Amino acid sequence: MLNDVEVLFTADEVQRRVMELGAQITGDYQGEELLVVGILKGAFMFMADLVRSISGPVAIDFMDVSSYGVSSETSGEVRIMKDLDVSLEDRHVLIVEDIVDTGLTLKFILEILQKRKPKSLKVCTLLDKPSRRRVEVVPDYNGFTIEDHFIVGYGIDYAERYRNLAEVAILKPEVYKK
Amino acid sequence: MLTVTVEEMNAVNFVGVGKEQGDVLMLDNIEVLLKKEEIANRIKELGKEITASYAGEEILVVGILKGSFMFMADLIRAINGPVAVDFMAVSSYGNSFETSGQVKILKDLGVSLEGKNVLIAEDIIDTGLTLNYIVSLLKERKPKSLKVCSLLDKPSRRTVDFTPDFVGFTIGNRFVLGFGLDYYDLWRNLPAVYALKSDD
Repeated sequence: MLNDVEVLFTADEVQRRVMELGAQITGDYQGEELLVVGILKGAFMFMADLVRSISGPVAIDFMDVSSYGVSSETSGEVRIMKDLDVSLEDRHVLIVEDIVDTGLTLKFILEILQKRKPKSLKVCTLLDKPSRRRVEVVPDYNGFTIEDHFIVGYGIDYAERYRNLAEVAILKPEVYKK
Repeated sequence: MLTVTVEEMNAVNFVGVGKEQGDVLMLDNIEVLLKKEEIANRIKELGKEITASYAGEEILVVGILKGSFMFMADLIRAINGPVAVDFMAVSSYGNSFETSGQVKILKDLGVSLEGKNVLIAEDIIDTGLTLNYIVSLLKERKPKSLKVCSLLDKPSRRTVDFTPDFVGFTIGNRFVLGFGLDYYDLWRNLPAVYALKSDD
């Protein structure tokens, strides 16, 4: 599996950055209860490490969304396959994503969740690809800003594989250009 | 630097956070059951066992939300080989749950299981009811193989015969939290497994 990829961030580099983000988030929320919402599936590993680095009372929930295909690519509109179990009203909510690229899906999710009247609503992403933005969305917390690489590993897949790599890697073109 | 007042700690009635990030203040009613390092080492061992057991064949690891997400994240990193991942979310029906283990599926799997090696990853097994039900449900989908790996096992609590294939730690009856397990929906983020002292 490692032959198919080129490591972009080693496991240690990722862990170090995750701990920094966790410390930052801890400081910002000052012991107030935080609802961390992970967007399945790609963000689950980052979320698992991130919340361990957040000191304080954290609640957790997950959303699963799926694209409508071409129309999702233009509007960002996605179908909610699994919604949140809890009300967001008056709660501090932190969305955790693996990658923000066009920003379309994230913007769509933010709009839906904002309507539920959280006390605050922020975004923490592991990776940011600002060159791909089609709509303005700026994550509040960002692990790494990267170029438009084909990323796998650390929860992120290609055809459902590579999620179990501990590192963030670039998939070699020969693997997906078959 | 994070500080939590005594009033806040007492309000939560539980665990507070000390001044150093990662420090957890021990209140009278909780204690560490499994340290971070112990958990990490055991998960590495489980990963090796599982890798050897599947001998390079692809494994579909299925996590039961929400508690197992943390265990799953670490477990799959310890498995060397092709791993796909999916999640199920279930909730109990109340009374009928207590007798049959029947649960409502809030989120089903996204893929077919037919012909696949499926490994269910759970945080804890106690009565065995839920898992027993889920296993029989998933068996009907004709996987090539179907096994269960649980981080924690409380065999003394079984009300149905159920033996997981892989177990992290066999523990007693105490109420546990942390490492994905919640205490009234909070504290899944604790990096170790804690137990309430008041339980036997």
